[in-house]
Amino acid sequence: MRQYSSVFKDESKLDINYVPPHLPHRSFQLDLLNQFFRSLIESPGKMAQRALISGRIGTGKTVLSQHFGLQITRDAQEKGINLQYVHVNCRECKGSLFLILQRTVSKFHPHFPKRGYSAEEILQVLVQILDDQNIYLILTLDELDALIRNEGSEPLYNLTRIQEERPNAPRRLSLICVLREIEHLDSLDPSSRSTLQHNIIHLAEYSRSQLLDILSDRGNLAFRVDAVSKDVLDLIAGLASSEGGDARYGIELLWRAGKYADVSRLVEVSAECVRMAASSVYPTVRKEVVSSLGLHEKLFLLGVARRFKQTDAVQMSMGEAEESYAVVCEEYGKRKLGHTQVWKCARDLSALGVIESCLSGVGQRGKTTLISLSRVPAVDLERELVKILSVGDK
Amino acid sequence: MAIEDVLSSKGRVKILRILSEIGELNISEIARRAGLNYATTNRHLEVLEKEGLVRHKRFGRIRIFRFNEGNRRAELVGRLMELWEQTDKSEKSVR
Repeated sequence: MRQYSSVFKDESKLDINYVPPHLPHRSFQLDLLNQFFRSLIESPGKMAQRALISGRIGTGKTVLSQHFGLQITRDAQEKGINLQYVHVNCRECKGSLFLILQRTVSKFHPHFPKRGYSAEEILQVLVQILDDQNIYLILTLDELDALIRNEGSEPLYNLTRIQEERPNAPRRLSLICVLREIEHLDSLDPSSRSTLQHNIIHLAEYSRSQLLDILSDRGNLAFRVDAVSKDVLDLIAGLASSEGGDARYGIELLWRAGKYADVSRLVEVSAECVRMAASSVYPTVRKEVVSSLGLHEKLFLLGVARRFKQTDAVQMSMGEAEESYAVVCEEYGKRKLGHTQVWKCARDLSALGVIESCLSGVGQRGKTTLISLSRVPAVDLERELVKILSVGDK
Repeated sequence: MAIEDVLSSKGRVKILRILSEIGELNISEIARRAGLNYATTNRHLEVLEKEGLVRHKRFGRIRIFRFNEGNRRAELVGRLMELWEQTDKSEKSVR
């Protein structure tokens, strides 16, 4: 029997965190960013810059800023300027300025203590590190809406005003804020809003032909020659286009279709593989969202999915969800969290849009959080979670 | 202090080994890793700092300790720790 070799050459090129060497259809925006931040290389310390990148999901906001970060730090290095780029996802930091700054400081001091000080103190620590090591920093706050939602105007106010206390010192901290909708800034106080609204780059949704270019580029990097036909790429581009020009969705579909081809031991990714992939990826609950959840969030979600699978109810109470979660914990041999921690899990999942939660109103005795799952079939969610849990955490 | 006085303490040697492995740490973390209490760790660090083997940097209320790279003795002790670990590992793999 002939040995089967995978359709993939290097599947890591389809990873969510991969930054490709070339960004199709974003060169104009890349040039804009370079223009905004040029002063950091031409006259470091004279000016700190701020820019805002907005756009819907999968329009290339994150990859654009990361690509720019790599490029500008390389240019600065050539000129002997110690410019560093740090990319932090506010959602992963649970919308906490403290955690965002803690993560930033740990890039320079990996073993910096994780507790024992306030957000204000760690901001001062960061400034001290930048001064001591003569670093100019571009800090990207990705999914900024999570920070605004959680802590309001205060964090941005503090980040943009650090220079006021040190008027003659070099300006070392520049910011790139990344968020889906610029309307999220409306909840900020006018002074914080005005400091951010200077350099705005809006990324429009990719068209079908643009998506095809992106998928071709990634396909060439990730798959063996002739493993993906243009027709298949076009099919995926069409699906991603119907999901609002979401390139990330398209790339994930391409990866999954490759996996289905491997499982079926095909030499080429077929249209049927794409269809199977499409039916297994719900655009609203993606692999990357579910797999980035904490262990207990996954276990809680699995409990919720299983309970909804068994009943026709539209909503369940927090108590019922906790019961199901306890059963799942027992199954996976994990100690269950206390009520408040579980409630926080539910709140975080709701903030991510994985579940919906609301407070019970009239007609229900007492007050509880009601949980519902409106976007994804419970069966599919359960299958996905069981798969992820069996690989990662069990 | 004479070398036998500085290195006669198990706690101090542990601290030196930890700093040589990790690079830099705050007192609480050194204490946790060395299995010592905070006050003892602080006292040992004071001795090591006085002898020029380690130094600290202050970030607000936090002090981060590391080997004192500019000091010849610190370099030698750091090298000793590294060599000890390396030979220890290679001897274990032979056994």
